[in-house]
Amino acid sequence: MNKESRLKASINQKLTETGERDRLKELLRAKLTECGWKDQMKAQCKEVIKEKGLEHVTVEDLVVEITPKGRALVPDSVKRDLLLRIRAFLTQHAS
Amino acid sequence: MSPAGCSHVNGYKVDNWKQNLRVIYQCFVWSGTAETRRRKVLQSDAGWTDLAKSCICHMCGAHLNRLHSCLYCVFFGCFTKKHIHEHAKNKRHNLAIDLLYGGIYCFVCQDYIYDKDLEQIAKEEQRKAWKLQGIGEKYTTWEPTKRELELLRHNPKRRKITTNCTIGLRGLINLGNTCFMNCIVQALTHTPLLRDFFLSDRHKCEMQSNSCLVCEMSQLFQEFYSGHRSPHIPFRLLHLVWTHARHLAGYEQQDAHEFLIAALDVLHRHCKGDTIRDDNGKKTNNPNHCNCIIDQIFTGGLQSDVTCQVCHGVSTTIDPFWDISLDLPGSSTPFWPLSPGGDSGTVNGESHLSGSTTLTDCLRRFTRPEHLGSSAKIKCGGCHSYQESTKQLTMKKLPIVACFHLKRFEHSAKLRRKITTYVSFPLELDMTPFMASSKESRMNGQYQQSVDILNNDNKYSLFAVVNHQGTLESGHYTSFIRQHKDQWFKCDDAIITKASIKDVLDSEGYLLFYHKQFLEYE
Repeated sequence: MNKESRLKASINQKLTETGERDRLKELLRAKLTECGWKDQMKAQCKEVIKEKGLEHVTVEDLVVEITPKGRALVPDSVKRDLLLRIRAFLTQHAS
Repeated sequence: MSPAGCSHVNGYKVDNWKQNLRVIYQCFVWSGTAETRRRKVLQSDAGWTDLAKSCICHMCGAHLNRLHSCLYCVFFGCFTKKHIHEHAKNKRHNLAIDLLYGGIYCFVCQDYIYDKDLEQIAKEEQRKAWKLQGIGEKYTTWEPTKRELELLRHNPKRRKITTNCTIGLRGLINLGNTCFMNCIVQALTHTPLLRDFFLSDRHKCEMQSNSCLVCEMSQLFQEFYSGHRSPHIPFRLLHLVWTHARHLAGYEQQDAHEFLIAALDVLHRHCKGDTIRDDNGKKTNNPNHCNCIIDQIFTGGLQSDVTCQVCHGVSTTIDPFWDISLDLPGSSTPFWPLSPGGDSGTVNGESHLSGSTTLTDCLRRFTRPEHLGSSAKIKCGGCHSYQESTKQLTMKKLPIVACFHLKRFEHSAKLRRKITTYVSFPLELDMTPFMASSKESRMNGQYQQSVDILNNDNKYSLFAVVNHQGTLESGHYTSFIRQHKDQWFKCDDAIITKASIKDVLDSEGYLLFYHKQFLEYE
């Protein structure tokens, strides 16, 4: 593993240990529901299911189609808020 | 999607599988305690082999590529990079669990499967983890158990809502010239967002006494949706109104518009228990920024721009409003002369028959620039002296429910009379031309006509009309309300009758209630 992935892994470790990762997940979940992103995704999924047919569609189909759209549609404000929160956490736990 | 899962799961359901599965959920999917979280990251205890070093892919070390855990042995692998697929093929281990969401993947079926027993365990472990994390119970869609389905089938009060049913409709007894109150109650109980708020029991009362009007409203909704067909007697509501709005007490006829404003005001004040809390659980302290249900539904922002005629500096204020009071032609205040081939005369599809005034005409007059005259000079901040100016009103923020009050009752020093001029109003209304933003773009020379048509934000639908018949001295209020999208009913105190859209649109109109067609997230 190179330096960057080692850093990523250790940040992840810290976040998981302290429970912050779960808290961030919940926060993100709430924000994405509030701003309507979740409903947008639901609508997109329905489109894909209609396209592929209810009997033949797999979760993988949905993942492949929805992931890029989902990533693009996350509002900047949500990204900003999460980033600030993670930064604050790292500053607090700098070792 | 059958809760019976796939046949390949049966190979898994042997020995101590339930306990093993629970451990996986507790340690790696939904870790509730600090202990289990540590296990996720560090070496786990003797129950697992030494390979369970950390929650990362055993082939590439990544933790973010949809990590899955094999259900038959201790192996973690990326789904995205197909590492878990390789493992499944090599070892013939057909089942894996998604560590992010807890779903079970079957490599033979090549899809996630939903087995009732496995789902049961997953749900229980998730609930346990939420509890440990302090999140408590979360909203999940209700899946009735067998017992619950039985109970529902045996409930005599079960009601099926079809397009024809009249649930929510109920007459109101007139307690002595209280038709002014009855018609407003009909309008409010048929305001969809308000109905949803009360029927989901969202009011948390913080008043010590029994005189909370919001609680009484809640009761009222219960009465209206109870399925009782006999008219309701709103004596408690009347008493509370008399208590909190003294100026409306007494048995003489009152003004329905005044009652609406007074009622909204009292409801807004009594909603204190429902103010939202911020992320830290503290009540938002700002008295001007109340977020009670009344404000959320009814409060709009009216922008007033005063332009100095000398330096052309603009002074802007924004005031909250619950209704828009519109002057009518034939009143002592001069109305805008109607131009026969007027621009955007049919912007809202109103019947412009032989010069009859439309609601849009009234709104155009309301938002026109008005020269304030030499006797009403305003002190200009730019010129530092009193100058003549023009004032213009536009809508800065539209409420979800817009109430238009046609000023039919004239109470000037000289005369008291009722203006019965017919004003035609549309079923669907587009407020775009009256918005502050539209005015700005017009001033900047941009004609956003085509964009505005695509903008759904300012489109409204009529859902209630309050009418007054008679004279100023003796009259009677009735209302039309909309049910199930396109069915209208006339409410005349205790008598409810079916009405046609034509009946509604041909009526005189005193208070017009419009609801936003599309609700946006903030």
